[in-house]
Amino acid sequence: MFDHIECFYRPGTLREALALLQKTGRRGAIVAGATDVVTRADRSPRYFIDVTHLDLDYVRKNGRGCTIGAATTMMALEKSSIIRGFAGGILAKAAATCGSIQNRNMATVGGNLANASPAADSAVVLLALDAHLVVANSRRKHRIPLAEFYVGPHKTVLKSELIVEIVIPALPGGRSGWSFQKLGRTETDISLVNAAVGLQADAHGRIKWSRIAMGAVGPMPVRARAAEKLLAGNALSEDLLAQAGEAVMNAVSPISDGRASAEYRREMSAVLARRALRECAAQAGIPIGN
Amino acid sequence: MQVMLTINGEAKRLSITPGDLLLDVLRRECYFGVKRGCETGECGACTVLVNGKPVNSCLMFAAQAEGTEILTIEGVAPDGNLDPLQTAFLDHGAVQCGYCTPGMILSAKALLAERPDPTDAEVREALAGNFCRCTGYLKPVEAVLAAAQAYRQAGSRGVSTKSGRSRGQARKKR
Ligand SMILES: Cc1cc2nc3c(=O)[nH]c(=O)nc-3n(C[C@H](O)[C@H](O)[C@H](O)COP(=O)(O)OP(=O)(O)OC[C@H]3O[C@@H](n4cnc5c(N)ncnc54)[C@H](O)[C@@H]3O)c2cc1C
Ligand code: FES
Ligand code: FES
Repeated sequence: MFDHIECFYRPGTLREALALLQKTGRRGAIVAGATDVVTRADRSPRYFIDVTHLDLDYVRKNGRGCTIGAATTMMALEKSSIIRGFAGGILAKAAATCGSIQNRNMATVGGNLANASPAADSAVVLLALDAHLVVANSRRKHRIPLAEFYVGPHKTVLKSELIVEIVIPALPGGRSGWSFQKLGRTETDISLVNAAVGLQADAHGRIKWSRIAMGAVGPMPVRARAAEKLLAGNALSEDLLAQAGEAVMNAVSPISDGRASAEYRREMSAVLARRALRECAAQAGIPIGN
Repeated sequence: MQVMLTINGEAKRLSITPGDLLLDVLRRECYFGVKRGCETGECGACTVLVNGKPVNSCLMFAAQAEGTEILTIEGVAPDGNLDPLQTAFLDHGAVQCGYCTPGMILSAKALLAERPDPTDAEVREALAGNFCRCTGYLKPVEAVLAAAQAYRQAGSRGVSTKSGRSRGQARKKR
């Protein structure tokens, strides 16, 4: 299937990898766990550049935030005590749903983001966590907010560039709750809809702020900003949950495909968002009135 | 290009093309226990252990196997004495056509190396990436739980994810 590949490079340093990326240009493609590269079978690359030997597999605590090497596998994320203890462990939970053990042993978080599937499970979580990507080319290293990284399905702003690491900024202090929700036929299926939600309580048990990210319901994962605004500063009630669900439905633009219809995805995005908000509220000690 | 790796305890140098998938290379080298199923990472028939971890060989480039230790089903009982997992699969009727069995056994072996006394749920999770079209899964799950017990009764050494051939003289490359 890949008989047109002329060379498989396995650089041992970031500098070498970036030089290869520059040299091979549009004919070079990065390979990490290869789980998307092989299944997508894009025949345009002539050169593969393996990024799994650049010492980019790490998880570091970074004050109240954390930093994750791009080549960290889903299995390493789900086992990491830092990730399990961070923001209710939602990134570990999402990683644990990315296919079978065989898949998670290879699949990397950098690959999950760069592949730019609208359904990518780590992407929706990292979007809710306001993550930034540290991206490098042979000339410079710079930061891109994940919210500005995608330009469409399977399209990102990267140009012969490599994701080096993912930086999650410090979480605000105080009592918060986090939830990851995924709808699929099985626990490890690709998401039909996924959601990552965070809530923080103020001193009066009202919602101080909320973050709601939705995936697989548009060309790229999105934040439901209107729903977030609706909740901020208010006491949570069944009525407010229903309104937030409506606002989430308005924020998404799903398509119909062989796996689910657009109507079903839209409907379920509200269901998942409400489910997530309830879970967060329970964790944050926010009561739900009528 | 060439890759140097260890397969079932034997050091090998193989000629490959840069785009070769590990599945194709292993079958070309006559490890026919590595089964070709979906070739899209869904079914687990092509499962091998790479440095002790289950991986779908249909989604891994052979070039990425440089310096690794690979275990295929052929390396599980090289001298013909069946592994307790293999015995348990036979005893429990967990093998029908057998197409999924090599992958199931390797996934189970990796599980038991990490968790000698797994719960039913852990066994199901470990086998979730290995599709079986014949047995209905119940019997493989029972077989793995029985094998776990057999290993524990047999005592000290624990479950190894290395080939019988290389056990005790484990070498690490790279
Ligand atoms: C059976 C199966 C089930 C799956 N289930 C799920 C699921 O439930 N949820 C989910 O989200 N995904 C799922 N996936 C998709 C896939 O496993 C993930 O997207 C995975 O994280 C991709 O990572 P990788 O390391 O394998 O990427 P690769 O395939 O190696 O690369 C993917 C893309 O990212 C680019 N890339 C990789 N690393 C970098 C980097 N550091 N910098 C820049 N570009 C880079 C590559 O050039 C390529 O375009 C599944 C895949 C399969 C085959
Ligand atoms: S053949 Fe590899 S997972 Fe099906
Ligand atoms: S025994 Fe036939 S596929 Fe499992």
